[in-house]
Amino acid sequence: MAKIEIDGRTVEAADGSTVLAAAERAGISIPHFCHHPNLAPEGTCRMCVVEIAGAVKLEPSCATIVREGMKIVTASPRIADARRSVLELLLADHPIDCPICDKAGECRLQDYCRDYGLSESAFGENKTRREKLFRIGDRLLLDRERCVLCTRCVRFLRDVAKTGELGVFERGGRTEIGIFEGIPVSDGYSGNLVDLCPVGAITDTAFRFKTRTWFLEPKPSVCPYCARGCLVDVDIHPGFARHPETGGILRVRPRPDATPAGPWICDIGRYAWIETESRRVRRIVWNKEDREAVLSGDRAFALLGARLRALAETGKGDRLTLVLHSGLTNEEWTDVAEFLGEFAGRPRVRIADPVEDDGDGFLRTSERTPNRRGAAASGVEILPFHPEDDCPHTDLLIVFAGIRGHLDFLERCRPAWSGIAAKALVSPVLTAADRDFDFVFPCAIPYEKSGSYINCDGRRLEFSAVRPAPDEVKAEGEILRLLRAEVRRTAEGR
Amino acid sequence: MTAPFTEDLRGRIADIVARYPERRAALLPVLHLVQKERGFIGPEDEIAVARVCGLRPVEVREALTFYTMFRRRPAGRHVLQVCTNLSCTLRGGERILDHIRMTLGIEPGRTTPDGRITLVEVECLGACDHGPCLMIDDVLHGELTGDKVEALLREISRP
Amino acid sequence: MSEKNLTRFFATAAPRALEDYLRTGGYEAARKALSSMTPAAVMEEVKGANLRGRGGAGFPAGVKWGFVPKSGEGPRYLCVNADEGEPGTFKDRYLLAHDPHLLLEGIILAGYAVGIRRAFVYIRGEYEELARRLEEAVSEAASRGLLGENILGSGYSLSVCVHRGAGAYICGEETALLESLEGFRGQPRLKPPFPAAVGLFGKPTVINNVETLTNLPGIVLHGAEWFLGLGKLGDGGTRLYGVSGSVVRPGVYELRVGARLRDIIFTHAGGMLPGRILKAVIPGGMSSTILGPDEIDVAMDCESLAAAGSMMGSAGIIVIDDSVPMLTVLDRITKFYAHESCGQCTPCRVGTSWIRKVVQRMMSGERRPDDLDTLVRLAGMMKGRTFCPFGDAAAGPVLGLIEKFRSELEG
Repeated sequence: MAKIEIDGRTVEAADGSTVLAAAERAGISIPHFCHHPNLAPEGTCRMCVVEIAGAVKLEPSCATIVREGMKIVTASPRIADARRSVLELLLADHPIDCPICDKAGECRLQDYCRDYGLSESAFGENKTRREKLFRIGDRLLLDRERCVLCTRCVRFLRDVAKTGELGVFERGGRTEIGIFEGIPVSDGYSGNLVDLCPVGAITDTAFRFKTRTWFLEPKPSVCPYCARGCLVDVDIHPGFARHPETGGILRVRPRPDATPAGPWICDIGRYAWIETESRRVRRIVWNKEDREAVLSGDRAFALLGARLRALAETGKGDRLTLVLHSGLTNEEWTDVAEFLGEFAGRPRVRIADPVEDDGDGFLRTSERTPNRRGAAASGVEILPFHPEDDCPHTDLLIVFAGIRGHLDFLERCRPAWSGIAAKALVSPVLTAADRDFDFVFPCAIPYEKSGSYINCDGRRLEFSAVRPAPDEVKAEGEILRLLRAEVRRTAEGR
Repeated sequence: MTAPFTEDLRGRIADIVARYPERRAALLPVLHLVQKERGFIGPEDEIAVARVCGLRPVEVREALTFYTMFRRRPAGRHVLQVCTNLSCTLRGGERILDHIRMTLGIEPGRTTPDGRITLVEVECLGACDHGPCLMIDDVLHGELTGDKVEALLREISRP
Repeated sequence: MSEKNLTRFFATAAPRALEDYLRTGGYEAARKALSSMTPAAVMEEVKGANLRGRGGAGFPAGVKWGFVPKSGEGPRYLCVNADEGEPGTFKDRYLLAHDPHLLLEGIILAGYAVGIRRAFVYIRGEYEELARRLEEAVSEAASRGLLGENILGSGYSLSVCVHRGAGAYICGEETALLESLEGFRGQPRLKPPFPAAVGLFGKPTVINNVETLTNLPGIVLHGAEWFLGLGKLGDGGTRLYGVSGSVVRPGVYELRVGARLRDIIFTHAGGMLPGRILKAVIPGGMSSTILGPDEIDVAMDCESLAAAGSMMGSAGIIVIDDSVPMLTVLDRITKFYAHESCGQCTPCRVGTSWIRKVVQRMMSGERRPDDLDTLVRLAGMMKGRTFCPFGDAAAGPVLGLIEKFRSELEG
């Protein structure tokens, strides 16, 4: 450790740490554009400059390693002047896009201009016009007029994602970020570029023009799309009073402590919810003969509960097959166990998860569900679902389809379960197999649940619902509790 | 669709790469070589050079666009680089450039319609005591006068 | 009085053949060092001579060599900075054109002193013909056992590779040179670490200018005292002073360090062109602060020029006469730096282009009363605030020009 002095205070700094990092740890925030804690020091934006005793010039704190006895000043008129210069220079060619720029409210340039009292520009020449809608990836647009050339995007792709699609072209005042044609930023970790960009140069077509950031309320949760369990913030728009339909999830982003590897999430974790949200099941459906009726919760649970009761009372629990998935929370497995306890004959408890792939060698695991370990630790005896083996022995099938929809899986099962007398589907999204089932119960998405997962590292990750599930939608655990209550109610009533 | 590198060219490229402890260091010499052969460096050449140097195509483009001697588009048969830096200006360089512009009928950065000459303004060529200077391809010409320029232009305008 | 040391044989046909070089004592210093001196002894001699770098920064070469760790595994490299790009500078062109073997011998001595076995000559792309000549000289020398394996039977080996740049002035900056050599954009690197510790391919590296290295054979043969005696106290040897602009005899003049600027211009370079009056002089290449007509009695050595508010730089003297509007000078200067800025740091990238826009507007005739103040303010935003010294080079001349010629520029 090295003893250093920052703004008159003596602090201990880890050997080899930078002045900026040491200051942060001491609770002093130093403004910066090109610096990022998970990227190597760059030292080019010149915003983070500080005074170091003995140094003639202002030094970039992001790139200066602490030494024993170093005396640092992070704020002074000289420093403020230097930082104001940087801002003024960045504003010279910067377009006055704030009124239409997605980044407004989250923009470092805006924030620092406010902090350093810049409101007017002395730039009296013609601003250089540049490409404003340059597509660098499927979902990503680059606005070269807004770009401050911090090169965070280039460095992230090169050093963290290791795909390196972005490059710095030209030089001097003509410098710009670009790609080699035909090799755009690939899906994988592309969405992190939007977070990384300190201004609104890189934007996300999924989010562009959807809202103003200051309307959003970030709610913490855990990503449910694989076993990594990245910590995320789900940005919720509360909905305008007279237009409540404007409310909902608008964005999912990594939290600063998202993963040990850094504040990143993969593009699946960032974007998959969009498709899910667009296909939500919101009402309980009863497929009677060829008609589709919408049921109230009470009625639906009563109807299904009756069938379950029939099996329980006749000791034919073993004719019940539950198909679950590894997205259930640890707490929901308790609900599963308690539900199963109502049946003398042992119901078949089966798991059908999305097929594993190879993962991506970085954050995304080969497991595509968040809580296989929770399932294994639950004590409930679980086997993989084999439709051909399980369906012939089933009179009542309840399938809990997770957020992945399992379209392929459902398609394959249809022939096998076509002969089962009674079937219920619990799904968050509409599927082509809906019509096979007597009942379709809308299911909450994981963000609408409170509970915990055990991730691939064995860590227990707890989270609360970011919002209540809408309409008749309920989480799997709640559905099981209600069904159990139905099974018990009449028995007690007797 | 550019022709792939000839075996001879690939051999010369391999010789260059072998000179350096790291393949990437061969980038500038290889780009010079390819430009000498092709007259410019197009996207397919960028991809081929990237492969040879163990780089991504975008990294080749980063260097290609940084260094002013590399051309991304075909140039005329001759490239005329006129120095417009201070010492040459002090010796009448601006007038020389004007003379050339008017004779050729093109602005710097452009090629004559007959494809013979590309005119480029460049910074200091390191021959300030012979100003005003220009380079035609890799040959330096100094102490330029109107007459001398006329003669040079006639020479390179020949079919 | 001129002292012909490096330019002794400039009058003969260029380039000097190896035979000719050998005949006039060539490679004697290498022979002496390799056979009778330790590397440390060579380094001590060069340190004692206080040979200042001739590229522009003027940092003592021996001291720079001393920063390379004495022990340690793995290769170390010598990079010869032949990227001569400072406007007004052409001395290295002369050395390369006339006496490539003088450079090679200097390379051997530097390599031997620091324990280097591989040298790269980074030569600006535009010097294509000179690069070819140098490569021929390398082959020639190697074929005679003067380079390559086991030089002169000494056991010391050194290979030299000639590497062309491609049109970027910034690659004359040490760390940008390294980046460029490694195949990257020529953007300067963060320091520390310094090249002596972490340089080319991450290994300890010495970077020396062409002219600096050509001084080594003389120092090794005649000693540090001799070298110091040629110049002024502490700033020894001769310099190749380049003179260009409105003078009768532009050219390279080898003179003892400390020659007076006035003498260089009026005695050696023949004075002003007929009918012209001296209005200003840039003493050390474009990046040095301009001097007015009343400032040309300054001695051309590092200390004296610094004291005069300018710098020795690359000793590229540009003489400006009264027929040239200072606005034109400002225009050429700002055009150069805007074109050559690497663009990686905010103050230089934006500063040079904003300044350029103002000056272009001024040149078009559209003037505003606060233009000069704006330029001063912008240059002030760059000076001392950029990632590398290029920002100072871009700012200093603008500030100097406006300070000393404001009334003409305002006109």
